[in-house]
Amino acid sequence: MIVRSGRSWFWRAVFLAPTLALFAMYFVYPLGFVFVISTLEWNGITAPAFVGVQNYLDNFQARQFQFALRNNFVWVAALAVGKISLAALVAMILARQPFAWRLLRTVYFLPIVISQVAIAMMWRAIYNAEYGIINQALERMGAMHLTRNWLGEIATAFPAILTQEVFYIGYFMIIILAYTMTIPESYYDAAQLDGANVLQQERYITLPMIKPILITTMTLATAFALRHFEGTFLLTDGGPAFRTTVLGLQLYKMTAALDYGHANATGGTLVLIGLALITVIRTTFGRRDAASDSAQ
Amino acid sequence: MSDIAGAKLTFGVASGRTLKWLVLGFFLVFTFVPLLWLVLSSFKTNLELTTRPFALPEVWQFQNYVTAFRIAGLFGLFRNSIIISFASTAITVLVTSMAAFVFAREKFPFSNVLLSLILAGVLIPIIGLMAPYFRLINALGLYDTRMALILTYTGINLPISTYLMHGYMRSIPGELEEAAVIDGATFLQRFTKVVFPLSKSGLVTAGTFVFLFGWNEFIYALLLTSRQQVRTVQFGIRHFVHQFFTDYTAMFAAIVVTIVPSIIVYILFHERIVKGLTSGALKG
Repeated sequence: MIVRSGRSWFWRAVFLAPTLALFAMYFVYPLGFVFVISTLEWNGITAPAFVGVQNYLDNFQARQFQFALRNNFVWVAALAVGKISLAALVAMILARQPFAWRLLRTVYFLPIVISQVAIAMMWRAIYNAEYGIINQALERMGAMHLTRNWLGEIATAFPAILTQEVFYIGYFMIIILAYTMTIPESYYDAAQLDGANVLQQERYITLPMIKPILITTMTLATAFALRHFEGTFLLTDGGPAFRTTVLGLQLYKMTAALDYGHANATGGTLVLIGLALITVIRTTFGRRDAASDSAQ
Repeated sequence: MSDIAGAKLTFGVASGRTLKWLVLGFFLVFTFVPLLWLVLSSFKTNLELTTRPFALPEVWQFQNYVTAFRIAGLFGLFRNSIIISFASTAITVLVTSMAAFVFAREKFPFSNVLLSLILAGVLIPIIGLMAPYFRLINALGLYDTRMALILTYTGINLPISTYLMHGYMRSIPGELEEAAVIDGATFLQRFTKVVFPLSKSGLVTAGTFVFLFGWNEFIYALLLTSRQQVRTVQFGIRHFVHQFFTDYTAMFAAIVVTIVPSIIVYILFHERIVKGLTSGALKG
């Protein structure tokens, strides 16, 4: 478009070059590196040896890796299903503009701008067995038998870490809310005239209308779940007995130990799981979307 | 009959309203109470922390904050975080606004493919690339320097920033540029005199995202730096547990101090943050 100015090829190249160079450095080369190195036995110093898929097999047979894999799938379910459902529920309530809805929207989002590190440190204190607020509250309510070392026991450690993340819904809630508020008011007015109550309106108007944004946020939540690191690293460091570990944490430990082969096999697994899950989400919901459209 | 139906309806509406406020109230409590406890505890003595956990501080211990600054070396941590966050923000928005300008205004072969490729970077679980980044930074001789993090944060933020800038620039009407071209403006002047100045609020949105990312980033700070002199705030927090040992309330004070800048940025720019999140969302 616009009028061609003489040397525009040169300037286009100049303008694109820094972004393309950095993109090659931080995305293209690393992705290639991950999959190539994942087939090698290499400590970064001595000569690498080709081992094929051996690193992947080693990983899948290691107990820590199995725990990490299982936990990452739980994280995906907790965020992509649990967190998104809660975010959608609150968005649907706020979209009807109840008292102080703008203020609530602003407040719910606040924790999102605080670093996950600070949030994790805060929860570490909340869960602390001696001075943590949870045990103190239980003690004062006379429920001494319910107090425990929340992050130290196998039964409670993983749920404790999940909890401190699942209920911070602000990020997805804001995205879903903005989308919900673009639904024309007239749809609801018409439904009201037909005698549909609030729940029916939400079920038959809002939910179908916001489906595209639910798919988008579920995709994002999946990416976040696979990327989870800070909370676990600071709250339990994967313990007790690797019950809370995740792939990101295993990857960090392998990288720090200069075990490049297994580290990159883990990284490769993460990238592949990410692509697979996102494809599954898009096709499953996308198909149902198209089907319901053609049914009308 | 109609009375009963009416009563039922009123009851339904009332319980629905109660449920609605229970949900909103729960999230309000979950958002606020832990933060409030952290802030109040940061003004208490360590004894009060266990003897009077739910009360206001008997005497407000501002001393905890003095201790926090001294023990955690907060000034150094802040200096590094500010340098790294501002530098990566400036470089990212400059570099990606140039690229976004070409993508939004010029048609050339494969431009759409190239743009989609860059934007797809948003979906890569970036943590999976830890090992190559570690290798890359070492190969460049940047391990344990601020430059390592400036470069890495710029790289990681390319997709989101390009996305936001491209979206913004596409919404600027082309007429202004066409008028400028008729007046003899070159390619460079179209960018520097017309599009870049008009993109100011797009720049602020993208900049806020990149800044908050840099300020809050932890994993790559952990992986790519180690010296006290180059530590960022987030990486520094990790050491609080050892540094403060049993002085919990001073540690809480230090954590509160690290949270304050994020909250200030949020108060100043929350409109832009919301707009940035939703502008993308509305396209689905």
